[in-house]
Amino acid sequence: MRLKRLTLVNFRNYSRLEIAFDRPLIVLQGDNAQGKSNLLEAIYMLATSKSPRAGSDRDLLNWFAESDIQPYARIDAEVERGSRTERIEITVLKTNGGTNGPAVRKQIRINGVNRRALDLLGHLNVVLFVPQDVELVDGSPSVRRRYLDIMLCQINPRYCRALSEYSHAVVQRSHLLRRLRERPGDPAQLAYWDEMLTTRGSEVIAWRRRAVIALDQLASAIHHELANGSELLRLKYQPSLPIPEALQPPLGLDMAVAQEEIAQIQAAFAERLARLRPAELHQGACLVGPHRDDLRFLVNGRDLQTYGSRGQQRTAALSLKMAETRLMHAETGEHPVLLLDDVLSELDAKRRECLLEAVNGVEQAILTTTDLTLFSADFLAQADSLRVTEGCIQRLNVGSGPDG
Amino acid sequence: MGSRVLPEPVERLIEEFSRLPGIGPKTASRLAFFLLRAPKDQAAQLAEALQQLRERITFCEICYNISETSPCPVCADDTRDHGLICVVEEPLDVVAVERTREFHGVYHVLHGVISPVDGVGPEDLKIEPLLERIRQGGVREVIVATNPNMEGEATAMYLARLLAPLGVRATRLARGLPMGSDLEYADEITLLRALEGRREI
Ligand SMILES: Nc1ncnc2c1ncn2[C@@H]1O[C@H](COP(=O)(O)OP(=O)(O)OP(=O)(O)O)[C@@H](O)[C@H]1O
Ligand SMILES: [Mg+2]
Repeated sequence: MRLKRLTLVNFRNYSRLEIAFDRPLIVLQGDNAQGKSNLLEAIYMLATSKSPRAGSDRDLLNWFAESDIQPYARIDAEVERGSRTERIEITVLKTNGGTNGPAVRKQIRINGVNRRALDLLGHLNVVLFVPQDVELVDGSPSVRRRYLDIMLCQINPRYCRALSEYSHAVVQRSHLLRRLRERPGDPAQLAYWDEMLTTRGSEVIAWRRRAVIALDQLASAIHHELANGSELLRLKYQPSLPIPEALQPPLGLDMAVAQEEIAQIQAAFAERLARLRPAELHQGACLVGPHRDDLRFLVNGRDLQTYGSRGQQRTAALSLKMAETRLMHAETGEHPVLLLDDVLSELDAKRRECLLEAVNGVEQAILTTTDLTLFSADFLAQADSLRVTEGCIQRLNVGSGPDG
Repeated sequence: MGSRVLPEPVERLIEEFSRLPGIGPKTASRLAFFLLRAPKDQAAQLAEALQQLRERITFCEICYNISETSPCPVCADDTRDHGLICVVEEPLDVVAVERTREFHGVYHVLHGVISPVDGVGPEDLKIEPLLERIRQGGVREVIVATNPNMEGEATAMYLARLLAPLGVRATRLARGLPMGSDLEYADEITLLRALEGRREI
């Protein structure tokens, strides 16, 4: 899939931008703080409805538009999937109601019809590469869970629904456990939330396990190439409860064939909950489930988080991201749009070359850089080069491609 | 303390308005000044309406719906089927079911749903009075009409457990596709539920 056209209105430092993307490769060059990352952020939001940065949707509104009578920010794009073109619009509106002062409302439209955030998933898939990706290896488990979640939500909205219901159940159940600890009540109230936790949770676990098994194979091969063949990278899913071995080696993410597997996980989950009941009532918290999962990176059998060098960690994170790109393609039949935010400068020549090669294989990749000399003349000749200056974009060269 | 800019009665009214849900200080001032400028009897009528609200409205001792009388007109109506109780979350849900003109049983208002996050447990709802009503006999069926979200489901399941030993039939509203909706755009959960709740034609 690819983005054909993008319009931004009052989005971050873009008061108005209209741009068409013609070539598969797009290079955005600009000095610091000109709006390169903001542009990728807008595209990322078209795919996931959320910003990749922390912070509230309010921050997306252009500062200078905040005093408008009805302040809003808009992202409006056309996405081509196979032979179909779809229009996606996201509008962030400032509302002055609410008891806690001004708030914002997000409106999503697909082909002109209002939709929920959940419905947006799958219309545009992206994989975002940023220098902070190394946090996948050296950051906290929550970074890795979030990573798996965003990827799986893009691959299948069913995962997203299971996850959101699971998370809702965890919050309610934790409050209930705390309440029961403070003043004893009828523990039969737990029954419904236990059921939600284990049904939705086992689905989440099954998806994550299958995804990690697939990513492990793909990332291993990529890492082998990136690291001169001297290192064996393995990814290991670490669920917070012992789950039964898969009946058969899972093939891909087809959950229709995984019903038996999900049922087994659910049984194990329920058993674990029953055993933990006294501890959970004592501590007033949900002690087990996918909200406590983790993902481990091993190189030659050693845990990278503890033993890896900075460079090894970077390479592993890059291998994982590249594996994700392939997994998405395998699962959805569509290449995701790759967004590479200033990642080339972090890499040595060999890894840079490998990454650019992968980038060449997809339908569309948008790269940002402060320094065009990081790219080979060949690469630039195939690409659309654009310069970003204070929220405005100007075409640098139309490369000497077939139509140039 | 700085000197008061607004006369005390105006400030007080603004303060009272601000306490209401969804009303910020700005709206509160606007409402207060509107009433200040409006004809005198408009303010008087509002004051009277507010007073009547608490003085004349009570809860029905049987179904806990809001009413001017206790028992409420529905519970006092002998032509209705007192063996069939529809359990709802809020008084407005009674209004919604009544609008169908097809339900001839009686109601029971829980005044909320079980939601641990909001600090609402079963003991905060009118569940015990419902069980007491059933224990007194004559009830055949209880329709649990709480909302089809997680909290509504949790409440329904909790009620079902309590109702089982009492020997009444407990049912849940069917869920399906809303009228005027488009099958193509229905989300899969709604569609799945509608399939489960299918019927002969
Ligand atoms: N809501 C907003 N309204 C206006 N400007 C904003 C808003 N939010 C962020 N900015 C500004 O946008 C500018 C560009 O940010 P961006 O992160 O896109 O820069 P960049 O081109 O990626 O720079 P770098 O090379 O340093 O990563 C920053 O100077 C920031 O202050
Ligand atoms: Mg940047």
